[in-house]
Amino acid sequence: MKMNKQNFFLIGGMATAICLTVGAMIATTAEGETPDLVSGTQAPNFTGITSTGETVSLSDYAGQTVVLEWTNHDCPFVGKHYDAEYTNMQSQQLAADEDGMVWLTIISSAPGKQGHVTPAVANQLTEQRGAAPDHVILDETGEIGHLYAAKATPHMYVIEPDGTLAYQGAIDSIPSARTRDIPTATQYVTAALDALEAGEEPEETTTKAYGCSVKY
Amino acid sequence: MMRFLALALVALCAALAARAEPYDAGHARVELISERQVALPGETIYLALDKTLDPNWHVYWRNAGDAGLPPEIFWEEGPLGESTSGDQFVWPLPELLPVVENEIMDYGYSEALTLPFEVTIPEDAVGSVRFVGEADYLICDDICIPETAPVSLTIFIGETQEPNVAHAEKIAAALASAPVPFEGESAAVVDGDALALHLVPADAATLDGNAIRFFPYNNEIFHARAQTQSVGERGARLALPYDPRETLGETLDGVIAITAPDGTRTGYIVRAAITDTPLAGTTGRAFTPAAPGGGVNLILLAGLALLGGLVLNLMPCVLPVLTIKAMGMVSAASKGEDTALREHGIWYTAGVMISFAALAAAFVALRSVGEFWALGSLLQYPVVVAVLALAAFLLGLWLLGVFEAGGSLQNLGSSFAGRSGAIGAFATGALAATAGAPCVGPFVGASLGAVLERPAPEVFFIYLMLGFGMALPFLILSFVPGLAGYLPRPGAWMERVKQFFAFPMFLSAAALLFVLGDQAGTGAVAWLVMGAALLAFGIWLVKIAGGRLRPMGLALGALAILGGFALPIATAKTLDPSQTGSTAYAAKYETEPWSPQRVADLTAEGRGVFVDFTATWCMICQANKRTTLTQPDVLAAMDAANITFLVADFTNKDPAIAEELQLRGRPGVPMYLLYAPGAADPVLMPQTLSPALMKREIAAAVGD
Repeated sequence: MKMNKQNFFLIGGMATAICLTVGAMIATTAEGETPDLVSGTQAPNFTGITSTGETVSLSDYAGQTVVLEWTNHDCPFVGKHYDAEYTNMQSQQLAADEDGMVWLTIISSAPGKQGHVTPAVANQLTEQRGAAPDHVILDETGEIGHLYAAKATPHMYVIEPDGTLAYQGAIDSIPSARTRDIPTATQYVTAALDALEAGEEPEETTTKAYGCSVKY
Repeated sequence: MMRFLALALVALCAALAARAEPYDAGHARVELISERQVALPGETIYLALDKTLDPNWHVYWRNAGDAGLPPEIFWEEGPLGESTSGDQFVWPLPELLPVVENEIMDYGYSEALTLPFEVTIPEDAVGSVRFVGEADYLICDDICIPETAPVSLTIFIGETQEPNVAHAEKIAAALASAPVPFEGESAAVVDGDALALHLVPADAATLDGNAIRFFPYNNEIFHARAQTQSVGERGARLALPYDPRETLGETLDGVIAITAPDGTRTGYIVRAAITDTPLAGTTGRAFTPAAPGGGVNLILLAGLALLGGLVLNLMPCVLPVLTIKAMGMVSAASKGEDTALREHGIWYTAGVMISFAALAAAFVALRSVGEFWALGSLLQYPVVVAVLALAAFLLGLWLLGVFEAGGSLQNLGSSFAGRSGAIGAFATGALAATAGAPCVGPFVGASLGAVLERPAPEVFFIYLMLGFGMALPFLILSFVPGLAGYLPRPGAWMERVKQFFAFPMFLSAAALLFVLGDQAGTGAVAWLVMGAALLAFGIWLVKIAGGRLRPMGLALGALAILGGFALPIATAKTLDPSQTGSTAYAAKYETEPWSPQRVADLTAEGRGVFVDFTATWCMICQANKRTTLTQPDVLAAMDAANITFLVADFTNKDPAIAEELQLRGRPGVPMYLLYAPGAADPVLMPQTLSPALMKREIAAAVGD
C-alpha cells in the first residue's frame, strides 16, 4: 500500500514539474518585443545627456534634419569610417554641419563593455579624430539604442525636419572592415541627405546596418 | 626511367606541399586545403578554407544576422578570378549566436569552420596550379576583430588523381553536414504583415517531433525574435517575425535547421515561393519542444530512474528478499535495537548503490573502448538495432513466463538475506541488485538506452538514482519499522506484475523495428521477425525436449535460437547502407554494382543504363550524389525511362574500372555514362550534374 502511494506522489510530482517547465518555456517565448521602426513613419522622441553635460531631446531639433550615428570607437568598422586616409565619417559630419543639419553621435555601450567612455574621453576622441558632431550622447543604459533598435556600430538614422524617419541602416553599401572599399561604396547617408535637400524621397530608406553589435 | 623520376618528383613535392602549416591570424588558425595532391587538367575538385577558432570566438555564416560579416577570399594568383565569397562557398549549417535577447542575433560558427568551394583546374594546366590569396573574415567574442590571413596552396597536375586523404576527409565532413535541398512542398505565406513558412516534407519523418529554425539568406525577418512552430497532419508551419521594412521578393530563401530531441541537427535548403495560399495540413497543434539535452531532461530521467528503482522492489526476485529482511526488522525493532536497525538500512542502501555504481562504471568503461562506442550513436548501426530488438523480444518472453532463468542467483540472494550484521546488510544490498539481475535487467536495459550517449557523470547519477529508488523502501522501513506490516504480501499478483511488463518490452521491440526499417529496409525487418519466430520456436523446443529425443530437441532448439539471432544480424549487416559508401545519402541510393557484362546484358534487353563511376574520396562525386543522384525526381525519371542505375566504385583500385575509364578517355572519376535504351555506346555526361541536366539527358536518350 505504502509503496503504491509513494509511486502515486512521485508521478504526480513529476507531472507537476513537467507542466511547470513547459509553462515557463511558453512564458519566455511570449516575452514583450519592441515596436518596429518603419521608415516613413514618425521617429520616436528621446532625451539624453551629452558628453558636455547638456540634456538634449530629439524634439529640440524640430524643423531641422537630424542624423543619428551609433558608435563605439574600438569597433573596427567604426575605425574604418573614421580612418585618417578617407575620414569618411568626419567629412559627412562637416558637410551636414555646413548644410545646417544636426548630427548626434550616440554611444550605447554599457559600463564595462567595449566602447563605453567617460564624457572626457568622448570629447577627447572627437577632437583627436577631427570629428564634428553637434553632440555626443552617452546612452549607457541603452535606452535610446533599444528605442531605435540600433543593432550595429555604425548604425545610421536620418530624420526629416517634420520628424519622419527618412533612412535607417548602414553607412554605405559595402559591408566590410576594409578602408579600401570606401571610395567605391555608395554612401547611403549622404545620398539620403542629398535627396531630402532636393525635395525627393531617398532611393534607399532601409538597409541592413553592418558592423559590430551594439554592446548593450 | 625518366617517367619514374618525374613521378617521384611530383610525389615528393606533393608530400612537401601537404606539410604546409596553418597561418595564425590572431584568433584563428587559417589554412587553404585541397582534396587532391595531384589533380587532372580540366577536373573539378573541392578546396576549402579551413579555420580553427580560439574558444568562445565566432566567425559568420553567409548571412551573418544582425551584426558580423561572412568570410571572403581575395585571390592574387590562381584560376578563381578576383574573389570567392557568398554562394560560391558550401556553407555548413550555422548556429544561432544570440547577442542581445530579442534584439540582436548573429548566425555563425564556433570552434572551427571548414568552408568548401569548387575549382575547375584549367584544361591547359601543366606541372602545377598555384592558389595565392588573402582570407578576410570577421571574428568576434564580445568584441569583433577583422582578421586577414594569407593563404596559398599548390596542386600538382598529373595523369592520375592522388587524394590528400586527411584534407579530403575534412572537406567530405563539411560537405556532408551542409544543408541539402528540402524535399517536399514549401510556401512562404503572406497574410497582411504576417509571414509564415509552410513545410510539407516528402518524408514525414523529416520534421516529425523536431524543432525547426529558419535561417534566411536575406533579411526579411527579425533575426532575434522567436519563430513559432505549429504542427499539422502533413507538415509544419513556422510563424516568422516578418520585418515590415523589408520588401519581399518572389521567394523566401534560406536554410531550415531541424533539431531532433537528441540534439542532432540537420539542415535543408528552402526556396519557398511567396504566396497567399497556405499549404494544407501544416497547423493544428502547437509544437512543444522536447527539453534540450541537459538540465530538465536529466532531472526527468533521474526521476524516472528513481521510480524504476522503486518498481524493482515489486519484482518476484527482489520482493522475497525484502520481505525476509522486513520480518527480521520487525523482530529487531520489538527488541528495541533501533540504532542497529538504522545502521542496517544504511548499509543495505550502500550495498545497492555501490552495485549500481559498478554497473555504471562498467558501462562507461565499455563505452570508451574503441571508436565503435565513441561514435556515440550506436543506434546508427542496424546490427545493434537488430540485436536490441531481439533482446527486447526475448526479455518480453521471459517476463511473460515463457521460460525461466536466474532462479539459482535468486536463491543465493535469499540465503544472504538471512544473515545479520553490517557485512550481511551490505552484501544483501549488493546482492539484491545483482541477484535480482533477471528482474533488474529489463529496467537497467531501458535506462541504458536512455543514457547511451550521455556524459559519464550523468550516467553515474542516473544509475545511482536507480539504486537509490531500489533501496528506498528498505531504508524507510529501517527508520520506521512499524511500516513493515503494510508491505504487500508476496503472491500471485507479483507474477502478474512481471507479466505486465512484457508488453512495454514488446512495444520497444516494435519501435526498434521502425528504426531498422529506415536503416536497412523492409527486408531486414522481415528477417528480424523471422528470427524472432525462430527464437520462440527454439525456446519452445528446449522447454518441451524430454525423453529419448531430449538431446536432439535441445540441439535443434539451440540451433534455432542461434539462427534466430544470426539471420537478422547477417541481413541487417549486408543491407547496412554504410557498407556502400558514405552514410548520409546511401539509404536513398539503391543501386547495383557495375560490370561491363551487366551493361551488355541490360542493353541487349533493350534497357537503358546509367553508370556512376565514383569514389568516396572524390568530393565532386559526393556532391553530385547529394544534389542529383539521390533526388527522388531524378530517380523517378530514370525509372520511367526504363534506365537501370549502376555504380562503379573506384574507392579501391579496380582494374576493370581503370580500363573502362581509359577506354572512355577519362583518366579519373567522376565519370557518368548514359546508355540510351538498347544503345551499345554511351553518352559521356559532364562532370558536374544537376537534376535539370539529368532529366534533359534522360529525355534525350529516350527520345532518340
